[in-house]
Amino acid sequence: MTISSRLGQLIMAAVIAGMILVPLISRSEESLNLVSLILIWGLFAVGFDLIFGLAGMLSFGHAALFGAGGYALTLLMTKAGLGFMPALAGAGLAGAAFAFVLSILALRVSGLFFSLLTLALAQLAYILASTKLRAFTGGLDGLPGVPRPELFGLDFYDNRTFYYFLIVVFLVGLAVMALLRASPFGKALRAIQANAVRADQIGFNVQRLRQCAFMISGAYAGVAGALLASLMFYISPQMLHWTTSGDVLIMTLLGGKGTLLGPVLGVAVFELLKEELSQITQHWYGILGLIFILCTILLPSGIAGLFAGRRDKGDAR
Amino acid sequence: MSTIVIGLSLSFLLFLLAAGLTLIFGMLGVINFAHGALYMLGAYICYQIVQWTGSFWIGLALAPLVVAGLGAAMERLALKPVYDRDHVYQLLLTFGFILVIEEAVRLVWGLDYKQVPTPDLFSQPVALFGSQIPSYRLFIIVFGAVVSALLFLVIDKSRYGMVIRATSSDSDMAETLGINVSRVRTFVFALGSGLAALGGVVAAPLVPIELGMGFSVIIDCFVVVIIGGLGSIRGAIFAALLLGMARALGFTYAAEWVDLITFSLLIVTLLTRPAGLFSRKGRAA
Repeated sequence: MTISSRLGQLIMAAVIAGMILVPLISRSEESLNLVSLILIWGLFAVGFDLIFGLAGMLSFGHAALFGAGGYALTLLMTKAGLGFMPALAGAGLAGAAFAFVLSILALRVSGLFFSLLTLALAQLAYILASTKLRAFTGGLDGLPGVPRPELFGLDFYDNRTFYYFLIVVFLVGLAVMALLRASPFGKALRAIQANAVRADQIGFNVQRLRQCAFMISGAYAGVAGALLASLMFYISPQMLHWTTSGDVLIMTLLGGKGTLLGPVLGVAVFELLKEELSQITQHWYGILGLIFILCTILLPSGIAGLFAGRRDKGDAR
Repeated sequence: MSTIVIGLSLSFLLFLLAAGLTLIFGMLGVINFAHGALYMLGAYICYQIVQWTGSFWIGLALAPLVVAGLGAAMERLALKPVYDRDHVYQLLLTFGFILVIEEAVRLVWGLDYKQVPTPDLFSQPVALFGSQIPSYRLFIIVFGAVVSALLFLVIDKSRYGMVIRATSSDSDMAETLGINVSRVRTFVFALGSGLAALGGVVAAPLVPIELGMGFSVIIDCFVVVIIGGLGSIRGAIFAALLLGMARALGFTYAAEWVDLITFSLLIVTLLTRPAGLFSRKGRAA
């Protein structure tokens, strides 16, 4: 289930070139912001798909990991006085650590129950962040003034400079994920999705592998959440709300789960649709829902599935 | 005393909702994420009917029918093509329905709170065991008990209930025996949707009608359905009583902790007995 590699490389090269050129071609802050959002959510979706597309686990709790990263960055910089890069690493660690805690609980059940349990745990985190942990999270009002990096004497408060920083982080994340997916680890996850019982019989430690995947996925979510908070200079519990988990799910499925670039494609389409639809009507979310329903029925392997030859059509599994 | 009445009324409300969810899961194997949205839709449609006719009772009769019709359409158009796929796709589809239904509600009724007045018949509190009890709460208890008894009779005793159960345990065999499986499935989904809307209508005079009302309810529903065992009506009654009373007591003594306790209850049940307390083997697929 991959876009044929030659075509994939070509598209990849074109897209990277396009991304680098965006600030030069377009003077508008909106398009810059749009592409920045695509990069950040793209990173999130790429991480999400490691467990959803590859390992076949539908997590409805990724918003909690996303939010954990955002809060970790903010608190590490403002309260602990760390620099941006250590704080960003901290955000990734926070996402992974939170994923570890979730996985201890959620991996005890499977299938639908896994989805419901991750949803419940994440929603618990949302309630805690908006009420009991008000002292750290600022409650429902959130925290303003999330900082941006100070590196090499560059001014990252300039959206253009920050955008190039985002490209670097995104490409590194994508490359690492490409390696992971091609590695024996990635293949083992595919095996687990195809048949967990058989994978166990062959000698894979299925639970350990799932847990690893969940934590890596959590690290991606954490870094992406930190970057989003930094882009917007703001974080609130809304980031942890279950609809955020829903959004990343829609994006991934729209683009094509189980592929490296599919989720990114989905994010791009989602954000562009949102941008365009919200210009036409304020009811864009409902239209998006309709598109999502149609995609689920007609295009189970997403937009990327259209590029994959006929034999791969049908169920993405 | 009033805590007990509130707890019982909450329990029966939860039961109405959970019954629909558990029916749909038990018979179709679909977790209907949009159940809360249908509940919300029931309340809004009831509000509209009350606006037009001034009668809550017409709303009570019509709103569930409208939503049941919508449920039938949802099942026919969207769910039917994906039954033979992984469970995840059905979950995703019903998730998509939430977005569409919420948007439709926002489009038609806007963002502000709506209110349905308590029907005149039950607007006065009654004295019971030395305390003043809102009579509408008593109505909910009686109404909920009647509906659950009816439901129980239909599913467990009637001929049509037998057909439904046969379809759920072995749809291929049922098909061979001449049962129109596809029609049974549509009926069950419509019935479940109608029950969700019924819950919304009954709740309408008690709560502010707003966009977010479906979500907190769906979590309670999941708790009930999961504690009771997916697909088990008996279990749903037991679990609804448990949770309803727990919530009523919680609101009285520790209001701030209610949501946390509910979620913790859900999490603990999922961890210890994901198949629920009353699940029959083979049904909780």
